Amino acid sequence: MHRIVAVVLALLFAPVGPARAEADAAGQGRILFEQKCASCHTIGGGPRVGPDLHGAHQRRSEEWLIRFITQPDRMIAEKDEVAVRLVEQFNRIVMPNLGLKEAEAQALLGHIRAASDAAAAPAEIPAAAVAALGRPQLIAPQSIVLGIFFFISAIILLVFAWVGLSTRSPEEVNVKKAYGFRKAMFATASVVVVAALALTMPGAPYAVASLKPDRIVYVAARQFDFVFSDEPITSAADLGRIPTLQRLELPADALVEFRVTSLDVNHGFGVYGPERQLLAQTQAMPGYVNRLRVRLAQGGYYKVFCLEYCAAGHHAMQSGFNVK
Amino acid sequence: MRKANSYTLYWMGITFLLFPVLAILGIYMRTVQAGGLAGSLTWFYPMMTLHGVGMVGVWYVAAMACAADILSRYTEPSPAVRGLALFGTLVGVLILLVSAFLGKFAAGWYFLYPLPFKGEWPVWSAVAFLLSLTILGATWLLWSLDLLRAIAVKYSITHALGWHYLAGRSEPEIPPSIMIITVSLIAGVAALVAGVIVLVLFYLELFTGAPSDALLMKNFTFFFGHTIVNLAMYLGVAAAYEVLPQYAGRPWKSNRIVAISWNTVLLIVLFAYFHHLYMDFVQPGTLQYIGQIASYASAIPAAVVTIFGALLLVYRARMRWNLASLLFFLGLIGWAIGGMGAVIDSTISANVRLHNTLWVPAHFHTYMLAGLVFLVFAYFYHCSQEAAAEPERPGLQKLVSFLMVAGAYGFFLMFYLSGAYSVPRRFAIYPAELAHGGTFSAIAAVFATVFLIGFFIYLSETGRRWYKALQTAS
Repeated sequence: MHRIVAVVLALLFAPVGPARAEADAAGQGRILFEQKCASCHTIGGGPRVGPDLHGAHQRRSEEWLIRFITQPDRMIAEKDEVAVRLVEQFNRIVMPNLGLKEAEAQALLGHIRAASDAAAAPAEIPAAAVAALGRPQLIAPQSIVLGIFFFISAIILLVFAWVGLSTRSPEEVNVKKAYGFRKAMFATASVVVVAALALTMPGAPYAVASLKPDRIVYVAARQFDFVFSDEPITSAADLGRIPTLQRLELPADALVEFRVTSLDVNHGFGVYGPERQLLAQTQAMPGYVNRLRVRLAQGGYYKVFCLEYCAAGHHAMQSGFNVK
Repeated sequence: MRKANSYTLYWMGITFLLFPVLAILGIYMRTVQAGGLAGSLTWFYPMMTLHGVGMVGVWYVAAMACAADILSRYTEPSPAVRGLALFGTLVGVLILLVSAFLGKFAAGWYFLYPLPFKGEWPVWSAVAFLLSLTILGATWLLWSLDLLRAIAVKYSITHALGWHYLAGRSEPEIPPSIMIITVSLIAGVAALVAGVIVLVLFYLELFTGAPSDALLMKNFTFFFGHTIVNLAMYLGVAAAYEVLPQYAGRPWKSNRIVAISWNTVLLIVLFAYFHHLYMDFVQPGTLQYIGQIASYASAIPAAVVTIFGALLLVYRARMRWNLASLLFFLGLIGWAIGGMGAVIDSTISANVRLHNTLWVPAHFHTYMLAGLVFLVFAYFYHCSQEAAAEPERPGLQKLVSFLMVAGAYGFFLMFYLSGAYSVPRRFAIYPAELAHGGTFSAIAAVFATVFLIGFFIYLSETGRRWYKALQTAS
């Protein structure tokens, strides 16, 4: 009985005719955009690997847009003035031919129109904001690593310099005594190695099963984008169907677990703190989920950069989140 | 005066031709990262790939050429395989150049699966790249096996590995260079077999569509890459063991400790590669910890036996300092400092902060450029000078060493600082937050140019002798 009522209500209130077709097309356009375009473009979120498409339908003719969406390689080869200018402007990263049909390009255009109307115009990043970044300061862990390296290198250099200079006054060496010294060196080196292992191994970043995270964030990496969500995204087909988090906010001091995977090639998920230095990372691998746990005490904006080379847009593959 | 081996001279010629070209590609990369040559940005990643695979290949064959030359003093490698190694390498390099310059193939030197199939380059360029590596891998595998055969004919493999020293016997006497070359070649065969497995799995996907497992491919790839680079370094060290005593006027002989040390190295080098996968958290945890233990442990035989042995050899010796002995000595310093950078990076808790930052090229450039390259340059100069017996110019030779050392270490310092400041490796351009990476790149390009000037003076010194040696070569 309930099912019959539901069907009747659905028939009464569902959009019919052109209105329904338009809604379907917009839905198809949104899914296509998420699956095919969002890795390089935004609509109102600012330029990424490619331009921000906010208001693209007002800047170019529909005919030009349809052709560029379906045959970008051909237009670039024909040296279309606008296409060539875009390639130059976006670091010569060429838009690939995604094999889209005209109907799909129409659906995408519909989505760009609708999303442009809904979103505000993208804000330009003020030059002052970039300049205000100032000189980076080394944070403690990185300073310690660099300090240890310089210290040991200086010892190596001093020892070699001392031995090299000793050849100015040649003399026979007491080999027996030297071998005794080597024994002592071996014992010292072994103790140092064991101590260093004991000191550093507990700091390994691997998840401890008994600790329950306060928040789980799913990350799907793809060329050249990170997608955050509250549910796992395991294939490109999930994009556009599973809701994604456009703006990620995390509570300060909470134990956050990023469950990181990749939809195409290997990527790196590198978390940079407000000091612009690497705090944690893991690899994003196709077919696997790496669990990266972080506890971020400091509030502010954290950037995520791709740390495994993944082709032409690698250096532009980035994202970020706020910690409050 | 000793006649030079003509094949060694051919390998020297190839190295002298390819190295500066590949080094210029490196300077080009640092220039682009500094914001220069923006119009050539689409070439950055193809050239990065060529620079990486080219440098690894060039210094592997250069080190193998040194090993083959040393072996020819004790035993007889097959002349046919020697010729095939040269021919196969040239064909492989030619196909590699086609994939880079005509196909713009850009999956990086270790072409991490499945990137070769998912880039902006045409499929044929990926196939050409894989074909090139197949030819190179098969050729080098055959070359390694023949050198091992030649060793086995003269000494037997167990003697060459010094196992009789472990049992307390000191006869037959095995030159330490033979022991190190045997260890390196065995590790090399294992690495090349892993490389072949990776290539077979790539072809399988290419022709049947059967996908491979990303983690398994990563393990094979890094086992291959890590081992091949390490053994090339060891072959350079073997050259130092062989030649440095001639300049120090003291022997550097095998004994029980040297045998224990290099057999331990053979075992350790096969497990240390796990440190490349620390950030793959799905890798079983035990393997991660084995990676750190093996990486740390590898420093002990290197420092306590080889470096200590070299220092003892030189300490208060009546040293004849010339370009060869200076570069051997400097090469061991580069190996020690670069090795220390690597050991730090192999600490799991430090790797979280350093993995895939410029700290990685920092340490491998240190032990490759200031380590292996210096050792091979030393050996090449030594061979040419032995055959040419030209009068030497100590002032000029010191200038060459100074320019190469100053250029190289200035260049490395920029990498180390960038790594500490978390600047990622393999970024063609830096985002605003990491713009300081560009400043480090600009300074690095200047230092690299200073190194290259030093190299060209080295080339004029060695090239002249090389040409003369070629006239009388056996």
